[in-house]
Amino acid sequence: MGILQNVKNAVRQRSIHVAYVDVGSCNGCDIEILACLAPRYDIEQYGIYVHNNPREADILLVIGAYTPGWADRLLPLWEKIPDPKVAIAIGNCPISGCLFARPGTLIHPPVAAHIPISAEVPGCPPRPTEILQAVLALAPEVFRDYEVRVL
Amino acid sequence: MRRIVDVSIPLGPIHPCFKEPARIKCETSGERVLAVEVELGYMKKGIERIMRGRPWQEVMFLAERVCGICSVIHNMVFIEGMEAISGISPAPRAALLRVVANELDRIQSHLLANFSYCYTIEHETLAMYLLDLREQVMDLLERLTGARVTCAYIVPGGVRFDLRDEDAALIRAGLAEVTRASARYTRIFETGPLIGLRSRGVGILTAKAARESHAVGPTARGSGISEDLRLRHPTYQQIGFSPVVRSEGDCFARVMVRFQEVQESIGIIGRCLDALVQGPIRAGGVCGAGKVSYSGEAPRGELSYLITTDEAGRVIDIAIQTPSIMNIEVCAHRMIPGVTSLADVTATFVSADPCIACTER
Repeated sequence: MGILQNVKNAVRQRSIHVAYVDVGSCNGCDIEILACLAPRYDIEQYGIYVHNNPREADILLVIGAYTPGWADRLLPLWEKIPDPKVAIAIGNCPISGCLFARPGTLIHPPVAAHIPISAEVPGCPPRPTEILQAVLALAPEVFRDYEVRVL
Repeated sequence: MRRIVDVSIPLGPIHPCFKEPARIKCETSGERVLAVEVELGYMKKGIERIMRGRPWQEVMFLAERVCGICSVIHNMVFIEGMEAISGISPAPRAALLRVVANELDRIQSHLLANFSYCYTIEHETLAMYLLDLREQVMDLLERLTGARVTCAYIVPGGVRFDLRDEDAALIRAGLAEVTRASARYTRIFETGPLIGLRSRGVGILTAKAARESHAVGPTARGSGISEDLRLRHPTYQQIGFSPVVRSEGDCFARVMVRFQEVQESIGIIGRCLDALVQGPIRAGGVCGAGKVSYSGEAPRGELSYLITTDEAGRVIDIAIQTPSIMNIEVCAHRMIPGVTSLADVTATFVSADPCIACTER
């Protein structure tokens, strides 16, 4: 592994673009992600930008319990994100369906059955600091040795 | 009937301006938007289906997860509906604490709505100020209820936790800070020339159109309709307040109504804390059989629950009408058609503060 690769690894972890997709949550986790933008948590100080544009995203935050409306949309959305990419499940809903996983429900959790999930942040909803911690934990891993691994 | 238009432009479901998935199809002629159609259906979880046949102890947690932004009012309306069925009256101290929790929730919801609007019109400075202010209000809500978002604070007959005197003092001090900051941000919004260009006269909803199309909440009050369900709530009648009404009917008025309601809510909380009597926070009672239609004023407008229970307190049938569905349709049919630019479509849509999660449930 060359010195160039080390420089790339060091630099790229400070330039992460995030998109979030709500596949049927109660909105609680959405606003906790928005709270990460607030000056108190200030996700941008770590070089993480929430643009909400899948085509330039590196990390996809998935919120919600996978409703039928997303059945033929989430996978195409995931495929639109350029490599390398990771998805983080935020909240209990994408992990287990939380309170909504009851007889008669319309949801189909877990989201990991539909797209590959790299990390899970449980909580209903998780605190902004926990979301931030998960994103920061994955930020160095997204691009690490990407050329060595793939090419 | 098929109509021939220049371009039909879809916005969403993933869009940088939207917190939640919704698709707006715009029929445009040049830059002018002739008509829009809002396509929903990305968030339907079937909460009412899950609620049927379950005891109220479970339904109250599901009720507050109808909407994560205004969870306290969903909790409050469901529990007060159950109290109306069962003939339980809340302890006097608890009734006031409920109003404190509800108004704190309203403040954070309004600040978030105004953050979204400022973010949509690309005034990021003011947006971040408002989001930071919202965090301070969330701290106070957490101080009172023990949780930031899904707090389940209100239970039949009372509330879950008492408010200690030192916490009441902390809430007062925090709100004094919020009053100062929010007055400053209101002034920035009111006098900002670029904000005025993007907001004044955009997305106009006349009082007649608002009445015909049943707009609710700040959207209706921004069009000169003085309608606020809090006026019919016994605790609010005891505390006293006057609804905020503006007559312009544009995006500017809707955002300003929310700013002024933040100040009004701070006043209500102050008067509640003044009137706080010592005593128990839980009253006795058993939830029984009955049927009730109960409404309350959510941050976005009128919220109604139609509840039928059996003698064991199980919910047999439930129907929820949330405010956003009214405002989304009003937005699509009355406000947006005729706006002069596509950029104003998202701004107008966000100014009505649509909450897709509670619309679709």
